Amino acid sequence: MLKYVNTGIVFQEIPDEVTLAINISNCPCHCPGCHSHYLWEDIGLPLNTDAIDDFLAEFGNDITCISFMGGDADPKAVNLLAQYIHEEYPTFKVAWYSGRLRIPSIVNQTDFDYIKVGPYIKHLGALKSPTTNQRLYRRLEDNTFEDITSRFWKK
Amino acid sequence: MEIKNFTITKRDGSKDQFSLDKIMNAVLKAFDSVQQPVDLGSISQILSHLDISNDIKVEDIQNQVEEALMKEGYYKVAKSFMLYRQAHSEDRETLAKLQFLADYCESVNAATGSKYDANANVEHKNIATLIGELPKSNFIRLNRRLLTDRIKKMYGKQLADEYIDLLTHHFIYKNDETSLANYCASITMYPWLIGGTTSIGGNSTAPTNLKSFCGGFVNMVFMVSSMLSGACATPEFLMYMNYFIGMEYGKDYYKNPERVVDLSVKQRSIDKVITDYFEQIVYSLNQPTGARNYQAVFWNVAYYDKYYFESLFGNFYFPDGSQPDWDGLSWLQKRFMKWFNAERTKTMLTFPVETMALLTKDGEPMDKEWGDFTAEMYSEGHSFFTYMSDNADSLSSCCRLRNEIQDNGFSYTLGAGGVSTGSKSVLTVNLNRCIQYAVNHNMDYKDYLGQVIDLCHKVQTAYNENLKELQAHGMLPLFDAGYINISRQYLTIGINGLVEAAEFMGLKITPNDEYKEFVQGVLGIVEKYNKQYRTKDLLFNCEMIPAENVGVKHAKWDREDGYFVPRDCYNSYFYVVEDDSLNIIDKFKLHGAPYIEHLTGGSALHMNLEEHLSKQQYAQLLKVAAKEGCNYFTFNIPNTICNDCGTIDKRYLHECPHCHSKNVDYMTRIIGYLKRVSNFSQARQEEASRRYYATKQKYTVKEEAKANA
Repeated sequence: MLKYVNTGIVFQEIPDEVTLAINISNCPCHCPGCHSHYLWEDIGLPLNTDAIDDFLAEFGNDITCISFMGGDADPKAVNLLAQYIHEEYPTFKVAWYSGRLRIPSIVNQTDFDYIKVGPYIKHLGALKSPTTNQRLYRRLEDNTFEDITSRFWKK
Repeated sequence: MEIKNFTITKRDGSKDQFSLDKIMNAVLKAFDSVQQPVDLGSISQILSHLDISNDIKVEDIQNQVEEALMKEGYYKVAKSFMLYRQAHSEDRETLAKLQFLADYCESVNAATGSKYDANANVEHKNIATLIGELPKSNFIRLNRRLLTDRIKKMYGKQLADEYIDLLTHHFIYKNDETSLANYCASITMYPWLIGGTTSIGGNSTAPTNLKSFCGGFVNMVFMVSSMLSGACATPEFLMYMNYFIGMEYGKDYYKNPERVVDLSVKQRSIDKVITDYFEQIVYSLNQPTGARNYQAVFWNVAYYDKYYFESLFGNFYFPDGSQPDWDGLSWLQKRFMKWFNAERTKTMLTFPVETMALLTKDGEPMDKEWGDFTAEMYSEGHSFFTYMSDNADSLSSCCRLRNEIQDNGFSYTLGAGGVSTGSKSVLTVNLNRCIQYAVNHNMDYKDYLGQVIDLCHKVQTAYNENLKELQAHGMLPLFDAGYINISRQYLTIGINGLVEAAEFMGLKITPNDEYKEFVQGVLGIVEKYNKQYRTKDLLFNCEMIPAENVGVKHAKWDREDGYFVPRDCYNSYFYVVEDDSLNIIDKFKLHGAPYIEHLTGGSALHMNLEEHLSKQQYAQLLKVAAKEGCNYFTFNIPNTICNDCGTIDKRYLHECPHCHSKNVDYMTRIIGYLKRVSNFSQARQEEASRRYYATKQKYTVKEEAKANA
């Protein structure tokens, strides 16, 4: 079962959106140099459709996007929640910050509006670094994905 | 009199051994000074009246000596003794001034050196600012005397004493007590447009062309500001300028701004002519001003969307019979904002403080073009305030002042009714002390606050009478000439220490029902008295004051007196500035409709961010503000200014992007206006460094978390 530790309203992670970021625990990636060891453990509150309902009751139209930060231990569960949001709350965008190199085939990528992939590799840097291995994609109307990582490099 | 080993308390509070010889010497000198011989028996007789107790103050001994001399019938000697004391006390005052002068010269900046009214708007410390500082204590005494004399006449001595008691024990604070002028005003420039500055004591006639408008405008703002202690807002500035540009280059000048209209060798275009005038006006008005203690004038301007424009100026007529032209003004407003934003990367320009007025409907700006433009300007890093309302019945035309528009009409003598407003005087309640005092003394804090606030209203009413008397003697030409209207100006009850009082009551400072009820309860009391004391000529409002220096003073005084003081500078927001657990939406909620309902005089949410957002994100936050009913706000991203090469960058950087120096300073809006952090007083600088700027590292999902994902 997915669990989350905390949430935040963020601006930098998804360009042009006001995003509710949900920090998911039990991360299997264990990137060397990770400073969020607390997210390696299986801790926090259950992240299910009830939790999603509560978040949207709280934030409503104040936000434009919901982003799952992690959840790589159970990608199918993340997919189901994304599907749930699009069905129940069609005005919101859904994003996923995954630490894997690629999205597993069991996940239906078109259930997401933004997908970030790639582990954190210290010498390459995070998204803001032009040498980063990480990529952020945005889904276009024809359901293909556009690489918008360069948005992070603009001054 | 029995002589024991007493100690006495000297004027500076230190103790000294009591010495009868010193008293005898003083008495002998007094006899000597009037050439009256005296014998030892008489001296003993005089001294026998003295009642010396341990730790007695020097002043008290001297009082007793005076009385003793009179009891023994030495009236001439007593008089000489009194005169001697007076001369010495004048000496001591001069000494204290000399000490202050020395300290001021040594202090790190002007705000820290100021003893009475620290103000970051004074950028430099020099002979001119020192001249302004020195008489401040005299002004405070004079203002108190003027006010207490009036209170005695109107309400009796007891209330005057209570006022001084609350003031000296820091339950209340009289703002701007170091100035004699009334506080701030948003003016209508119509009297100037019709008659020039002669009616307020100047010598210029009405502006007749673009050049005389721009030159005369600067002089007019300087003149008006020298008769106010606070800000001067000119909400019609761009509208009038648009009129004069139209007179010069045709009403549709904005359709072809590249047209060359200057036939000198410079061959300037319309756009260049206009921006040159912007430059002249803005740079002139940012100069330090002699008449205002070497501060720049606190100049404010307003921008309007189409709906606000129509509501305010729909009935307006210029002297040539034409009406203001929205399309031209819309272009000019945008041009000014773009120009000003770019100019601010060249040098630090604090003024004008700008407010964008947007009308909203169903949680969105009604004028989509101007809603979009607002978001665009924020995303380009421009720093300004936005005022949003779902009804054009109120307006904020200054960095803090909000007013109900009572009259949208136009008159051929007074101009547009809606823009003329202001605050005559601010009297602030230290809520943290009042509430703690009541609770500690087992009183109902609401009852106690009610008493204090009731007194504040009487004091303000007395102030108003003094103002009316000044006006009756022709001392207030701004009122007489119609720039402002005395009965449309507010008497303001300020509040400070609200968050701290709530924390004392054990409340959590988050959007929760208990805190909301507390805020509504406290502000509701002010509102109740505001209504009760309101008459045809008396208007009251309530404002959360920016408290640049009061917030620091209150915290210090309250801590010294043993009150619960959770931070060194009382907040001027509904949330705790250093609290990193609140998200942006929480902050909009905490400045939303339920909280600001009774804050009739306004309070601005300063949304502190570390990085600029995109236009789309700002547009979304405008919607959030509209939905939550947060009507007045700005986004505040510290700008970086390099101390070595002078480069100004709109971003919050730790290193100069040009010369890579780490010796950088920041410009931020701690209170209403944008200033260098190093110009703020020491205590305010500390608050600024603790202030929580929403950052990627701190505020949002952590970089590490992202890396981990």
